[in-house]
Amino acid sequence: GLVPCRFLTFTAHLVIVISIFWSRENNVRASLPLQCTQEQYENQDTLSLPRLVVALSVTLGLFAVELAGFFSGVSMFNNTQSLISVAAHCSASICLSFFVSEHWQCSAYWYIMGFCSALPAAVEILLFISVFGLKK
Amino acid sequence: SSTPLEILLFLNGWYYATYFLLEIFIFVYKGLLLPYPSANLALDLIMLFLYLGIEVTRIFFGSKGNLCQRKVPLSISLALTFPAAVMAAYYLLLQTYALRLEAILNTILLLFYAVELLLGILTLASFS
Repeated sequence: GLVPCRFLTFTAHLVIVISIFWSRENNVRASLPLQCTQEQYENQDTLSLPRLVVALSVTLGLFAVELAGFFSGVSMFNNTQSLISVAAHCSASICLSFFVSEHWQCSAYWYIMGFCSALPAAVEILLFISVFGLKK
Repeated sequence: SSTPLEILLFLNGWYYATYFLLEIFIFVYKGLLLPYPSANLALDLIMLFLYLGIEVTRIFFGSKGNLCQRKVPLSISLALTFPAAVMAAYYLLLQTYALRLEAILNTILLLFYAVELLLGILTLASFS
């Protein structure tokens, strides 16, 4: 069925985001020397670590929005939203596993988040508005 | 019969299936990579299969009890939630080597159990 598929990809994405959150220092430290010299090292470090924390927190907030929509039944049986969600979370899981294992730049995370977390959350908010506002 | 409880049990079944497969892979990975006294590895694997048995029984009884609105299967399921939670806590804390990934997976399972316990008690109260 579509519902368990959506739930499992959502959970997989959530698990990877939490594990990145838990080990973010490793990722920041490892992705720096590819682009800069040693004295820029400390400079970038104090800048990109809080940025990554902000990005991860925004992702968790968007997760909460989508989880609320899913469990309250608003979008659980809406096939379009389910397909968008499955595709976005699946691609996000793959991209984030690459992010961790290949030590991508931290700026890449914003692109991943924009497409794969913001898109389902935005459609979710649209569905909330349409269910509670129009079809009341 | 409570729809949220049914949804949670359904999703829990699927989530547990993925969890079981992942744990098998993780144990293969850990067995190859980390220095294990072999008794501990055998214990962990046997506990995993016991956990599978408990979980399948629990979800089946919970689902049947909820849908047929009978108290006995539902209370069996609620009673089995406690050993299942103990197993999840074992894999979270007391295991020989607990990976970060396993910690997250087991925490999500414990969250499932907490909400199911709550909803199960409410549903049981509404049946009597």
